[in-house]
Amino acid sequence: MDGRTVVAQRRGPLARIGRFLAEPFKDAWHHRDLLLAILQRELAERFKGSVAGWVWAVTAPLLSLIVYTVAFSGAVRLPSGEVSGSNFDYALFIFGGLIAFNFFSEMAYRAPSLLHEYAHFIKQTMFPAEMLPIISTLRATAYASIGLVLMLVAQLVLTGTLHWTVLLLPIWYIPFIAFLIGMTWTLSAMGAFTRDTAYLMMTVAPLLMFATPVFYSTDQMSETLKLVFYINILTGFIEVLRDIVVFGQLPNPLVCAWVLFLSVATFYFGFWFFGKQRDGIADVI
Amino acid sequence: MSSEKDVVIRARHLAKAYRIYGNQQQRLKQVLFGSWHTYYRSFWALKDISFEVRRGEALGILGRNGCGKSTLLQIACGMIRPTKGEIMVNGRIAPVLALGGTFDAESTGRQNVLIGGAVLGLKRHEILEKMDSIADFAGIGDFMGQPVKFYSSGMRVRLAFAICAHIDPEILVVDEALAVGDAVFQRKCMDWIDNFRRRGTLLFVSHATSEVARLCNNAIWIDDGRIREAGTPANVIRAYRRATLIEQDNMRRFSAM
Repeated sequence: MDGRTVVAQRRGPLARIGRFLAEPFKDAWHHRDLLLAILQRELAERFKGSVAGWVWAVTAPLLSLIVYTVAFSGAVRLPSGEVSGSNFDYALFIFGGLIAFNFFSEMAYRAPSLLHEYAHFIKQTMFPAEMLPIISTLRATAYASIGLVLMLVAQLVLTGTLHWTVLLLPIWYIPFIAFLIGMTWTLSAMGAFTRDTAYLMMTVAPLLMFATPVFYSTDQMSETLKLVFYINILTGFIEVLRDIVVFGQLPNPLVCAWVLFLSVATFYFGFWFFGKQRDGIADVI
Repeated sequence: MSSEKDVVIRARHLAKAYRIYGNQQQRLKQVLFGSWHTYYRSFWALKDISFEVRRGEALGILGRNGCGKSTLLQIACGMIRPTKGEIMVNGRIAPVLALGGTFDAESTGRQNVLIGGAVLGLKRHEILEKMDSIADFAGIGDFMGQPVKFYSSGMRVRLAFAICAHIDPEILVVDEALAVGDAVFQRKCMDWIDNFRRRGTLLFVSHATSEVARLCNNAIWIDDGRIREAGTPANVIRAYRRATLIEQDNMRRFSAM
């Protein structure tokens, strides 16, 4: 125990809460060089062993976008009154849903085994394990951003316009990243103790894909069913993304506030939970 | 008697328990319901360890395999927390522990130096400045750009030691691992450690009692998680040797049967 820890315990409750809220950011700033070094490694590693490398990162979302456009243009109509007349809107509508969902599912699948991947670091060196969820989420962010840029380009090419609301993307990004980091803190700490976490996510995530409005919208649902869907934070993220990119309208402020609340709660719960399990992690990994 | 601020490592009644679970379910239950019920047995790797190391001292640590040496070093380096007691470490500490085992096999030597240096608390530009010198000390040359999985075990050890030698540590923790390198490299490391002894503090673990006697001015012998003997290296080594001889004697008796 160092001097700083002892001093912190003698502070009043308000100061302690403030310190807790600031801690993840201070921690990340303190380890910024390490964060950068490992992030670089992570980004380089993503397509390691393949000749084309990051070309794959662009090809995969590009192909799916083309397939949706061909499959859905003309054949299917938007299930809501929000149709702006373009045939391509439904393709973009689904693509937006998938970007958000894949962003989530990449972390959901990876988080339980994340600490095992880095076991050699955690065991042998003075490694700040709490940085790993941040780093891996940042890598997923880079990947999701490729999809998002493609989506914006497609929007521009297919419909000829970009909505000004695209400027609101940070209000989608920041809570989503915070939510994923918090989720990864929780899942990776649990995954360190039991491999069951990985199997649990492998079972839940595909089901969640259909329980989340990726391929449909909540607009025609009854009010009660809608409320049930909004418990799932992904519903909010997908709707906000569609509103600001595809439909060019301001997202529902109530949904935004709810999503923000859930994200911040997940972020700090994850940080607290990881910190609580931290000492045990090096022993069991 | 030197003053209080000269103490760089102080351990007080350190104890470390590992949790032993009967099966995986109990481990999960402990995570979920740990506040209400205990699902594990404790294994005490360290039971009661107290010592002090002052600036410029070299402490040799002796003990058989499994006596708790590695656990003690890991606690000193801040990798794991003690279950009881407290440890105070004052200064930049460089662990040359299980050399090379910490490397990431898929990453290149350069990337590993960047990560390793950052873990040990160096700024990015400082590491980049020292990169050539590190490659030179390790004698790895062109292999710096290759993934570590293509390195021989000797190359890994050399790179790991080179990193520790370049982070300008105040406290150096050297584990048995140095035995892996060839004679030339061992000589190089020993020369470096001799040189380091003039300014820094050393924690030295080795089964080569002659090296302990040569390098250290204090020694402890750990047996079954407790300090069995402490004092000058000569005394501790004599007691340790005597105990090992008795055991060898026993072994000979068994094998003769």
